[in-house]
Amino acid sequence: MKAPFKFTWALWFLLAIHAVVALAGFVAPYSYETQEREHPYAPPTRVHFFDCQGKFHLRPFVYVTQSAVSGPNDYTQDCSQPARIEFFTPGDGYSILGMFHSTRHLFGVQAPANLFLLGTDGFGRDQFSRLLYGGQVSLFAGFVAASFSVITGLLLGGIAGMYGGRIDDVAMRVAEVFITIPWFYLLIAVRAFLPLQISPVAAFLLVVAVIGMVGWGRPARLVRGVVLSARERNFVLAARGFGASNAYLLRRHLMPLTFRVLLTQMAVLIPQFILAEVILSFLGLGIGEPFPSWGNMLAHAQQYHVLVSYWWMLLPGLAPVPVFLAYHSLAETLQERVKSNI
Amino acid sequence: MPSLLAGGRAIAQEDFLRATSEPGTRGGKLVIAQRSEPRTFNPVVAIDQNSLGVNARMMADLIHINRATQKTEPALAKSWSVSKNGTQFTVKLRRGLRFSDGAPFDADDVVFSFKIYLDEQVHSPQRDLLTISGKPITLQKIDAFTVRFTFPAPYSAAERVFDGVAILPRHLLEKDYQEGKINQVWTLSTPPEKMAGLGAFRLKQVVPGDRIVLERNPNYWKIDAKGQRLPYLDELMFVVVPTQDAQVIRFQAGDSQLISGLSADNFAVLEPEQKARRFKLYDAGPGLEYNFLMFNLNDDTDRLPEIARKQKWFRDVRFRQAVSAAIDRAGIVRLVYRNRGAAIATHVSPGNKAWFNSSIPAPARSLPKARELLQAAGFSWKAGNALVDSSGQPVEFTILVSSSNTQRGQIATLVQEDLKAIGIAAHVVPMESRSANDRVLNSHDFEAIVMGLVSGDADPTPDMNILMSNAQTHLWHLGQKAPATPWEAELDRLMQQQLVTLNYQQRKKIYDRVQEVLAQQLPMVYLASPNILVGAQEDLGNFRPAIIEQYTFWNADELFWHTPAGKR
Amino acid sequence: MIRYFARRAGHGLLLLFGVSILLFVLFQASPGDFLSEVKLNSQISPTTVAQLRAQYGLDQPLPVRYWKWVKSSAQGEFGYSFAYNASAASLLWPRARNTLVLSVPALVISWLIAVPLGVLVAGWKGSWVDRLFSGGTSALLALPDVLIALLALLIALKTGIFPVGGMTSVNTQDQSTWAWLRDLGWHMVLPVAALVIGSLTMILRHVRASVGEVLESSYMRAAQGHGLPRLKLLFCHALPAAANPLISLFGLSVALLLSVSLLIEVVMGWPGIGPLLLEAILARDLFVVIGAVMLSTLFLIGGNLLGDVLLYAFDPRIRRQA
Repeated sequence: MKAPFKFTWALWFLLAIHAVVALAGFVAPYSYETQEREHPYAPPTRVHFFDCQGKFHLRPFVYVTQSAVSGPNDYTQDCSQPARIEFFTPGDGYSILGMFHSTRHLFGVQAPANLFLLGTDGFGRDQFSRLLYGGQVSLFAGFVAASFSVITGLLLGGIAGMYGGRIDDVAMRVAEVFITIPWFYLLIAVRAFLPLQISPVAAFLLVVAVIGMVGWGRPARLVRGVVLSARERNFVLAARGFGASNAYLLRRHLMPLTFRVLLTQMAVLIPQFILAEVILSFLGLGIGEPFPSWGNMLAHAQQYHVLVSYWWMLLPGLAPVPVFLAYHSLAETLQERVKSNI
Repeated sequence: MPSLLAGGRAIAQEDFLRATSEPGTRGGKLVIAQRSEPRTFNPVVAIDQNSLGVNARMMADLIHINRATQKTEPALAKSWSVSKNGTQFTVKLRRGLRFSDGAPFDADDVVFSFKIYLDEQVHSPQRDLLTISGKPITLQKIDAFTVRFTFPAPYSAAERVFDGVAILPRHLLEKDYQEGKINQVWTLSTPPEKMAGLGAFRLKQVVPGDRIVLERNPNYWKIDAKGQRLPYLDELMFVVVPTQDAQVIRFQAGDSQLISGLSADNFAVLEPEQKARRFKLYDAGPGLEYNFLMFNLNDDTDRLPEIARKQKWFRDVRFRQAVSAAIDRAGIVRLVYRNRGAAIATHVSPGNKAWFNSSIPAPARSLPKARELLQAAGFSWKAGNALVDSSGQPVEFTILVSSSNTQRGQIATLVQEDLKAIGIAAHVVPMESRSANDRVLNSHDFEAIVMGLVSGDADPTPDMNILMSNAQTHLWHLGQKAPATPWEAELDRLMQQQLVTLNYQQRKKIYDRVQEVLAQQLPMVYLASPNILVGAQEDLGNFRPAIIEQYTFWNADELFWHTPAGKR
Repeated sequence: MIRYFARRAGHGLLLLFGVSILLFVLFQASPGDFLSEVKLNSQISPTTVAQLRAQYGLDQPLPVRYWKWVKSSAQGEFGYSFAYNASAASLLWPRARNTLVLSVPALVISWLIAVPLGVLVAGWKGSWVDRLFSGGTSALLALPDVLIALLALLIALKTGIFPVGGMTSVNTQDQSTWAWLRDLGWHMVLPVAALVIGSLTMILRHVRASVGEVLESSYMRAAQGHGLPRLKLLFCHALPAAANPLISLFGLSVALLLSVSLLIEVVMGWPGIGPLLLEAILARDLFVVIGAVMLSTLFLIGGNLLGDVLLYAFDPRIRRQA
């Protein structure tokens, strides 16, 4: 069966996004933690083709901005100090995937000019760069949490569906307990259990893993359903007739059947967990400063004063939309295929 | 006083307190938004600020601290005299006063109230306040309107002890007390007629989770310059609005008419709307909150080798001084508080006019000085500007911060970036506040923490609970049997000395020295104090924001509306 | 049939016990207790704290405390709030009522919108309407609750039409029942709208998916070929055929009635379970948290049961199985 257009599109798009995010250090003009303390809440830097005299330039450029004396949030452009946008500019050091180290960035401007494509936050950190770096955390966290919940679900649900009876009963009751409890609110203290000295990123991923782990209830039920229905199918019954053991059946026939279901679940759950991170940040459980994530950037933007004063802070909130869209398309197509297979 | 006589004979016989504030007009209602509702109306058990704030409107104390002047003034006590050695307080009570339910007030109520607070079986938080150097205050009734208090030792802040110690109605609570049920009385579901107090207001209605309505106490004991009985407001309403953002929006919409504890960010949002929405914002200057970076100096950390190893740095005063010199306090004030705050050198903020030592400036950022100090202490820099100690170990530590306070989180972020400049790798660890407190107070499993504390009073005495080496909240090094360092010994001596020194000038001199020692030794690296930012509808009369708690409605009995309710 | 429901009730009871035990253990494990904040208050001595701890029973071992709680629950009190000095049940009931005032209308409205809309969109599968719909729901899903609530408050403030949070106006006490109801309704508009926006997308997607699936089956194609009117086909034939998963989903949304609105309540100042629960968790007010979670567990059990009953009523196949 040929993959539908939507499916291919979604897959390519996700690949592209992940690639850009993985190369954040190179693509982003700044590091995620560089504070330009003279530029807190600076609006997006205007990129010009026409200078103050109205003359056209082929190479886009920016003007040096200064915060006005009157208040910290008014910025003026200095027409006497233009700076051209350059490529492969030197800047903050970074490493890509912990392997390649460099200080060259895809594009940027020379100091004292700044290129804040999406403005800056309250510490004067470049939002665009943080958005790219934040993607690393968020996309990975979504994946980690979803994997944990799907894997746990697969194990427990598979066992419950396969063996049935008492085991099924117990597993499903426990699943209900786990589905019932509002974990988000109860896990507020979870950071307190982790050792102090592990890095904020590791701590955050552990928190996310815990959240994913306690979310096994729903996938487990799904898997159980699939296994239950598959158990009665002819080729499984036939295999059993030939004396195949339960473990063999699970591994050889039932797991592959549930594989698609699980992929679908992943595609559904990843966006959910990316979003869950916003709530984590709202409750103060998100990734620690100075590391960015889509969740804590959005959580920051949902403060009243930010919302009414600095519109550009909401732009990072749009980043997950195309990603979600892609994941949803993926999930839908997968779902249809699962149906046509079973 | 003809106007008084016109009001009725009974009034003339009572010992009223005459308020000096601007006389206002009666009527109207004031709505105040609070983060959460009060937990209890019982003054014997109330601890949290929301309960204390509401209860204080319904209750009265003998001697009261005026929040605006930070000085004591008479309340239910008409006058008092102090014995020569400063240990005996003879208090004359106002005569002819009545509780809000009409029952008369006399010395028996005072004796009854203090008996409850001092009763060991009751565990009232006030007991600790009324215990001086381990011994409780005693009191005896002299006559129906005179009570004598005896302090175990001369006590410089004696008058201030009485503030907030609510006088309870004996006629309502004696039975409960004798049955040992005093802790269970006056919950949120107690009917209003079963409660009474001597405060300006009394309870009218409770809507759980939503609002508390107080109404004017017709028997209140204050009158204004025109002889009119206070309070002016018919009703005081506390509504629950759980987030500050929502509180700001309510205030903007005029649904609530007072707002306090504004963050500088929200202050900036409200500022341009003052005219259009007819409210006024006030910046009362630096408050008594101080934020600091504190290192773990506890000596019971053998079970935590990682921390014990780093404490070698922390214990070196030059290291702490270097950290202090590396921190950009002005940057904190500008970015976190939008210049509505003050950089500080000690825990006494410039807002505390009577006790602030103005000869100690808040340290300015100086990286050369920081480097010099570190070098002197045996630290050096590796390639790439990473600081290493004398044994070549990189200097790296975690900074704990409570996740519930946005500003403190921001401070930690700035401090972390500042320390990077001298090669220190600090990692911020946000943690839910109970867990963070638990680490500081019990497990001592932390390396450094950004914290904030609010002094309860402008007077130095409450700070003994932190500064004394054996104090229960001597946060940087708990559980000391004897002072661990010479400077802690000096602090102990100075604080004991100020406790028994009655003369202000001498006390100030002692306390100035305390601040010098702290600024020098930096057991806490003091960072900044935010200003107290509040707002009120412009029509509200007698509005006097203060820097001590209940910043906006501490004088609710004097607040009034200039325009009558119908016309606003 | 009766046996089946008796078994379900038994499961429900087990679930309640399981949840409560898990919560007790969780709380026991988390550092700090209700009194640890008091400890930082420098005016209160550690002996006082120790005495208070004994008074609240915090010094007793876990099983003892659990047993006490079970006894108190049997009397309908669900333990004791440390903070409020009152039984947890007395705190929870009025707030649960307020939460339902918000979430029940939101549930009804969401379904009333989602079902017809979802069916229509399913009928247009593959067209630009469908694509627009996918984009729109993805965007809506990316909006967190808190942001929706805050934006709603902002709109209320700027337009001045709707009240900016809360449940009743500050002047309602002495009004007639009718005026009170109108006032309440007026305050409900924005929180209910925020809730509907938050929960609508999920239901919409499910309706569209399950109806779309039915439409692709051979008998539906046949019906289409016979020239059945489109709307009649969609609503009279496709929808009932797709009802089963939707009924289960409906059961689930009933189950979540007490918990969907937590954050919206907090932001909009609605005196429901949300603000109480969040405060109680932060303050380690153990029994209030347990009470709140038990209540929502009850709803979960009820919701699932309702789903089953409905399925039973609608689907003859299931009736035969039970």
